[in-house]
Amino acid sequence: MFTMLRFFIFCFCLFLSVHLHAEKQVLTIYTYDSFTSDWGPGPQVKKAFEKSCDCELVFVGLEDGVSLLSRLKLEGSNTRADIVLGLDTNLTAEARATGLFSPHGIEATMLSLPTSWQDADFLPYDFGYFAFVYNRELLAEPPTSLKQLIEDPESPQILIQDPRTSTPGLGLMLWVKKVYGDNAPAAWEKLSNRIVTVSKGWSEAYGLFLKDEAQMVLSYTTSPAYHIIAEDDQRFAAAKFSEGHYQQIEVAGLIASSKQEKLARKFLHFMMSDAFQSIIPTTNWMYPTGLDSSQLPAAFNQLIDPAPALLFDDSLIAANRKRWINEWLEAMSQ
Amino acid sequence: MARSHVTVTSMLKPARSAYLVLALLAIMLVAPMIGLSLVSVSESFELESSSFWRSTYLRQVLAFSFWQAFLSTLLSVGLALLVARAIARRGDFLFRSLLLKLFALPLVVPAVVAVLGVVSVYGNSGWIPLGRNLYGLNGILLAHLFFNLPLAVRLLLPVWFSIPHPYWRLSEQLDMNSWQQWRLLEWPALRESLPGVALLVFMLCLTSFAVVLTLGGGPKSTTLEVAIYQSLRFDFDPVRAVILALVQFALCATVALVSLRFQKLPEVEIGSLLQGLLTTKKGKAINTAIILMAALFVVTPMLSMLIDAVRGPILRVMSNPNLWQAAWHSLVIGLSAATLSVSMAFLLLRSSSDLFYLNRKKGAMFIELAGSIVYVVPPLVTGTGLFILLSPHVDVFDWAIPIVVLINALMGMPFAIRSLSPTMRQNKMRYQRLCETLDLDGWHRFKIIDWPLLRKPFGLAMALIAALAIGDLGVIALFGTPQTTTLPLLLYQQLGAYLISQAAVSAAFLLFLCLLVFWLLERFVGGQDHA
Repeated sequence: MFTMLRFFIFCFCLFLSVHLHAEKQVLTIYTYDSFTSDWGPGPQVKKAFEKSCDCELVFVGLEDGVSLLSRLKLEGSNTRADIVLGLDTNLTAEARATGLFSPHGIEATMLSLPTSWQDADFLPYDFGYFAFVYNRELLAEPPTSLKQLIEDPESPQILIQDPRTSTPGLGLMLWVKKVYGDNAPAAWEKLSNRIVTVSKGWSEAYGLFLKDEAQMVLSYTTSPAYHIIAEDDQRFAAAKFSEGHYQQIEVAGLIASSKQEKLARKFLHFMMSDAFQSIIPTTNWMYPTGLDSSQLPAAFNQLIDPAPALLFDDSLIAANRKRWINEWLEAMSQ
Repeated sequence: MARSHVTVTSMLKPARSAYLVLALLAIMLVAPMIGLSLVSVSESFELESSSFWRSTYLRQVLAFSFWQAFLSTLLSVGLALLVARAIARRGDFLFRSLLLKLFALPLVVPAVVAVLGVVSVYGNSGWIPLGRNLYGLNGILLAHLFFNLPLAVRLLLPVWFSIPHPYWRLSEQLDMNSWQQWRLLEWPALRESLPGVALLVFMLCLTSFAVVLTLGGGPKSTTLEVAIYQSLRFDFDPVRAVILALVQFALCATVALVSLRFQKLPEVEIGSLLQGLLTTKKGKAINTAIILMAALFVVTPMLSMLIDAVRGPILRVMSNPNLWQAAWHSLVIGLSAATLSVSMAFLLLRSSSDLFYLNRKKGAMFIELAGSIVYVVPPLVTGTGLFILLSPHVDVFDWAIPIVVLINALMGMPFAIRSLSPTMRQNKMRYQRLCETLDLDGWHRFKIIDWPLLRKPFGLAMALIAALAIGDLGVIALFGTPQTTTLPLLLYQQLGAYLISQAAVSAAFLLFLCLLVFWLLERFVGGQDHA
């Protein structure tokens, strides 16, 4: 038994020593896991950035964008992140309120965003529009509006993400709110029977969709470009909804307590450069904010026009997100 | 300490080591409670909690927690009655002891592994596909049944052997049919222990975390335990987490109090065999069928998971450094928790067996009961409390592994106490005088007197606690990060991403690790059968 005790003490010391181990300059970026996956932008971004600095870029992949914010709130100023990449404009007001972010100080003029950019704390690296994606061979007549999807009992079964963890999930919740207003809970109750599962992140839901677990999945208008370009597969499409599509602008921010501030600022500049921006369309499958539409792959021209773009003011979301999530939870747990 | 009341003439001064452990237990349990209540007196708490108390969400979560626990208990215990009866009435049969060993297996199978087994049998591409209906109540019930049916069978089976042989003979002479035997012989014997078994299963299902987390299908099938986890990790809403944790604590304390009244659990030892009853051929066939089906139900998930694993991307999974890091963390957690747990139990029992020897039985009972307090406070509640208490001051994620070790050690205390207590008392009663005469004390006494006899229970307790801790997915879900992932957490992430074939390989690896550690500890700490 005493040898065991010694072993226990040994293990404990070993564990502590792992934490004290020092290495070369490391830039830690919290992001969502599809960004860091093998086919996502992560590996290429890491390679490109490490070429320009004598440092190591470490991505910490969490379930999805909303988890990033929860995680930051949990860790507070103890956080090990230097940069958080993958929040969206639905979360920026709340993220700013944590006081953990420091202004990026970059003049954001070369943006291809449909709207002008004013935010001093967060920099947009790409944007897109939420949409339900389907397989044309398995679903001949997709719904043509959000209202039809929700109210027609014959509408297809869908996969969505949890608004408490995932930015697409949150986007859909806001989309329904935009279209239904105060009647949103009733709409969710109607829809809930046709929801196959509520996953924590985008990757899980999309993975299940590709295994034919449901006819439609909540994703982006740009998702079919992946199948066209990477797989030469024309079967997938996004359903155009007559109410318009909710917009997502993905942003990154600098953590004020970062010990690698210089390196972090360097990364933000890199993020707005062509080297980073040109990786985005065919890895993150979104519209890069820094490239002109003529610089996009041809397949992006086949995509549906999401207009009109829907978006709530971020301060309105910050004031109501919790209440709306509770509404959603209650409607969905009926 | 009024020593004048001591009736035994002895120089023995009760060991004080228990106070140390009791103090640690108190800190571990009381401090989080203080943390929880500190939050609950803050102003914003009252504002938010008043609306949350009345919310449909809380009602739904409560209702679902109860409903799934109730159904799981009904199914597990109901079917266990059938199966146990079939086994008892079948008399001796081929593979009987193998079957009973098989029914002991779910005790060490990690919950996530069982979930994976259930998915691989009843999932979309499984042998008996339930399709999308698996995620949600159905899946939860199946997994709970996998764990609790064998447990209930093992707990109930001895009841049949407690019915005296002459009764059976008489009933046969009176030409009673099976129903009459049930009504007049078996049911009266069962009635005493059935509530205890049912409450135990109910409590296990009410506090089940890993199963509901992995098989629950979104907000519709969320239990209190999972809601606590979600409100911390999803919403970072400490207020809600505190309310849920307090509700969970109140529920568990109530169930524990109720079960004190029905404490009579049958002896787990399975006694002598019934001589095969004079059952009809048809009755015999039915019993055989029931036993076969129960065995299949327990075997198929493990078998199917293993087959999936063999066919899975073994090389890719096994060459992933994350897997090995996670395995290392799990191993450290398992061995540390087991060592800590039996050490604490030993220190507690040193005091309580002294008290027992001095005939102060109440004190001894109190100490041993206090060591098992974890029955009343679910680990996730303690975890939540620690989380809220520590998070403003330190980076709680840095402390993930030590905290998980501590909590798993606490969870192991009841096992450790139960397995060490009889031997420690016996040693005290038998050898105290001898030791006093020989002036044998301290380390020498431990080495010469206690250790040779204690080895076996030590080994068994350590083996069980280590296996449970290695497979535990509970508190680590609250504190885990990519740097401090354990095998069960890794498996949960693979399951969450629906990477079933990769998960099968990891699950087989985890199961193998659990069984290996169990075997090694039992064998090398427990030693050979020379005691």
